[in-house]
Amino acid sequence: MIIVNYVVAVLLLVLGLYAVCTQKNLIKVVLGLGIIDYGINLLIVSIGWNDGGTAPIFTISDLINGVSSNFFVDPVPQALTLTSIVIGACVDAMALALVIMIYRKYKTINSDEVRRIRG
Amino acid sequence: MLDIIINTIKNAGFVLVFPGILFVSIAGLLLAGIDRKVLARMQKRKGPPILQPVYDFFKLMGKETIIPHEANKTAFLGAPIVGFVSLVVIMLFLPIAGFEAPFGIEGDLVIILYLLTIPAVALIIGGSASGSPFAGIGISREMVAMMAYELPLVIVLLSVAKVAGGDSLAFSLNTIIDAQAGGELFITKWQLIPAVLAMLLVIPAEVGTQPFDVAEAETEICEGPLVEYSGAPLAMFKLNTAIKMFIMTALFSVLFLGGINLGIEGWYGIVLNVVVLFAACAVLTILCMTLIHAICARLKIEHMFKFYWTVVTALAAISLILVWIF
Amino acid sequence: MFDFLTIDFVRHFPVIAVMGLFLCAFLVEIFGAKNKYIRNTIVLVAAFGAFALITSLVKPVLFDGEILAYWMGNWEPVSGYAIGIGYEIDALNMFFALLVVTTILLAAIYSIKYMARDHHLGHYYTLFLMLSGSVLGLVLTGDIFNMFVMIEIMTFASVALTAFRNNKFGSLEAAFKYLIIGSIGSSMTLAGIALLYAQCHTLNMAQISAVLGSGALSPTSICAFALMFAGFGVKSYIVPFHAPAADAYMTAPTSISMVFSGMVNKAGVYGMIRLVYVIFRAMDITPIQLFLVTFGTITMFIGVTMALAQHDFKRLLAFHSISQIGYVITAVSLCTALGLEAGLFHAMNHTLFKGLLFLTAGAVLYAAGTTDLDKLGGLAKKMPKTAVCFLIGAFSISGLPPFNGFASKWMIYQATFEKATTTGNFAYAFVTVVALVVSVMTLASFIKVTQAVFFGQLPANLRDVKEVPLLMRIPMWIMSALCILTGVFYNFVQQHILVPAANAAFGVTKYIDSMMGEGTAAASGISDYAVQGVEGIVSIWNPKLWLILFAIVLIAVFIVILTGDNTRGRVLEKSEEDSEDGKYATFFGGEKSAHSHVSGSDLFWGFKHDFKGYFKFIQGMHSGVVNDYALWVVVGAALIVVFMFATFMFI
Repeated sequence: MIIVNYVVAVLLLVLGLYAVCTQKNLIKVVLGLGIIDYGINLLIVSIGWNDGGTAPIFTISDLINGVSSNFFVDPVPQALTLTSIVIGACVDAMALALVIMIYRKYKTINSDEVRRIRG
Repeated sequence: MLDIIINTIKNAGFVLVFPGILFVSIAGLLLAGIDRKVLARMQKRKGPPILQPVYDFFKLMGKETIIPHEANKTAFLGAPIVGFVSLVVIMLFLPIAGFEAPFGIEGDLVIILYLLTIPAVALIIGGSASGSPFAGIGISREMVAMMAYELPLVIVLLSVAKVAGGDSLAFSLNTIIDAQAGGELFITKWQLIPAVLAMLLVIPAEVGTQPFDVAEAETEICEGPLVEYSGAPLAMFKLNTAIKMFIMTALFSVLFLGGINLGIEGWYGIVLNVVVLFAACAVLTILCMTLIHAICARLKIEHMFKFYWTVVTALAAISLILVWIF
Repeated sequence: MFDFLTIDFVRHFPVIAVMGLFLCAFLVEIFGAKNKYIRNTIVLVAAFGAFALITSLVKPVLFDGEILAYWMGNWEPVSGYAIGIGYEIDALNMFFALLVVTTILLAAIYSIKYMARDHHLGHYYTLFLMLSGSVLGLVLTGDIFNMFVMIEIMTFASVALTAFRNNKFGSLEAAFKYLIIGSIGSSMTLAGIALLYAQCHTLNMAQISAVLGSGALSPTSICAFALMFAGFGVKSYIVPFHAPAADAYMTAPTSISMVFSGMVNKAGVYGMIRLVYVIFRAMDITPIQLFLVTFGTITMFIGVTMALAQHDFKRLLAFHSISQIGYVITAVSLCTALGLEAGLFHAMNHTLFKGLLFLTAGAVLYAAGTTDLDKLGGLAKKMPKTAVCFLIGAFSISGLPPFNGFASKWMIYQATFEKATTTGNFAYAFVTVVALVVSVMTLASFIKVTQAVFFGQLPANLRDVKEVPLLMRIPMWIMSALCILTGVFYNFVQQHILVPAANAAFGVTKYIDSMMGEGTAAASGISDYAVQGVEGIVSIWNPKLWLILFAIVLIAVFIVILTGDNTRGRVLEKSEEDSEDGKYATFFGGEKSAHSHVSGSDLFWGFKHDFKGYFKFIQGMHSGVVNDYALWVVVGAALIVVFMFATFMFI
């Protein structure tokens, strides 16, 4: 059932935002960010899904003869998802790199103590 | 070609004689003299002659100018000039005494509002450039005072603009004058009475006379931004204060008294208008500056700020709301 | 002479500009990592190339009103469906592209000397060019997913550049917060794009606008609108999404702070305008106008009050950036001709004067080694040229005539009050009052900087500060000149730049038709905004006045020269007892006073005292904890979603 996908996507989104807003450990914050990305990726893939559709791969003769070309899974969201996954990986990598450097400098990764700039 | 020359001479006349440098300086210094004289009489003193500010001005112009070693010379000497120029420019925008303001056609309230801030900014920059700690305290207070009176002033101006324009936009001073042309002066409109009161309270703060002269406070911080000034620049600053007296009262007469236009044709009409305008300015000066000066002691800066952002702003805001509803 | 610049030829320029910047980003890393001459050459060529390519489009796009539609790889729409990535350049994004390329060029020139003391400059320039390319791509693209990718590249490059001087105070945590908040914003944009794709099955902005049509929006589209709205809100740093911006502007190298405030948040504003005006064509709905105006007004007020409480030069400027963006959003969302023009004008002026101010802050940092307002003072004697540039920028941002800030703020007050009188809505009059008061507060906080950095007494440890090198001063002079020119010749700017840009935002049908073919807009029932009087705007004053004003100033200066010569103005000598460290300075009357410079945080005591409750609250809100900032974003986004549903379901 495709509806499950949407529900799970929204749940992941909410879970990720919850993690970012409440977790004091910076690594957990980064994980929350990752979870948001997964939720959105799931959402995008689900949007392209057609129940019972085929893979969007055709030979030229299929297209000319019009064989089953009306009912396939939309390939564009899949491409978008790939891009989004790559970007998400970059975000996580960069955030974790920053966390490591923060740990070296501040000797802690508790977000309550990483706040020298404030007010 | 001849047109251009005549126009240039005419414009130069506007700038240099009337209503520009010469007229505004004399009028301002006379107002300052009247202020001092009446204040003295109120305090049962004899008081200086009315021309005393003029004498003071020329005396100061002849004195030596001393610049502190820590000061930034350019800003220190340039500041009074900038303030003076902007005051003269304001004069060119005001359509007073039934006289078509040279640049009043495009002139409008926001420009006046901003040009009015420039003399204060010049004073601040000059004081700041002198490097003296007394001046530092003084500019801080001057700026807070400016924030204090700017809010009610803005609301007063918007109320007047709304009355003059109705459902259309009227920031132009000429529209405001035209709306009062038939003798229906804005001071007689009941919705604007709170705004008139607010404006009367804004004038002394804008000029910086006694209860609101926190920035200069000579008994406390030795005239604040002016502490290092001497000679000609000091004379310029004193002149600026005097001109500000005249300009603020003239602005009041434009906003609420229709700019004083008796409607008499001919050159003697204009002269009469100018005389009446000056009389009105003198009355306003005595009413909102001398009187308050005589009866009030200097406020502290935080009290002044609170006073303007509560009482005066409330008066102005009541007026704006009344204007909006009726 | 320029006959070869035909439309079919210049059509390729925007793409070449974007790709050139990206290409040079990698060339810098490959060839310029070791040799600084090669590196500087590549960077300057890329920046100047982009500038030249974009400015050559000014005539066809802004003056002649052409819209350049460009399909990557010549993948034109097939049976009415856009299948390729399209670039569409109309006057609106041309306007923003001009801001972007100007900022890139000046920042590149400034960086050469400013960054020369740092290491690993190959990385710096790579990131700088990536940032430039992505922002330019963002404003030029006509494809919404391409826009998202550009936003992401922009965020990465910004974060990495914020953390570039990672040994400096706070840069790491600022970068981290910027990354977290920025990513949440991008994620919201992406979710919005996904939902929009589900509704429209296209990613081309013109086609989305056509497909959404003039009918009621479906709940999915409303949700998409709200999410993208929040996403672009995060990118333009309106309150409550602004907190990481202030941190990042403060800790990034100053040339990058200038880029942030000059073009990165303009990109967010552009996205906002494009989204609300064109894609959803929702700007003439009254609740949405009021909603955006509320956001803008709150933003300008909170920005300026936070700025008043700062005691770091760059952080103060950062909060002013937020405040000025509030002005822009307020004016733009009035949906009147005057309002939109005022907003765009202010966006442009903000790029100029805030860039200038950041450059002067950079010069102070370069020369004196700190931007702490409590440790500086009296620098005008040592760095007079920087001080002049700073004063020009400060007067511009405070809106003193005749600088450019005055012209645009004047238009903003006029526009908001006009809206108040024509709609009879008192709220807009309130906005005018707030805008005017915020302007005074802006002036106040720049007086504070003037006193604390350039005037007052010189601390002993800054006795041997020197003026910054010429290569750093050139961009400052250019920006100062532009600040004055656009202020004096505001009529020219308005006629030739603002009116076409505003017309482009109002002319939705033309945007759709030139991308998707004639008649597409009409077929889906989309009409232009019904706006009165895009052209006819009363002028403030005429040049005649200016000539006379200059004459007066000249006379005045002449008088000063005559009276202020050595026989009249005597500089007080330094007395013999003065110790070398400048602890005692001699003032008028020959009295000595201990070093008692009135520094930044001592100023405005009365004001701060009366508002101490408010300041305590608002400074406590900017707690510096990344979770809190994320919570603001979530709450803000939730508010936007709820509001959008309420608006579209019940109108």
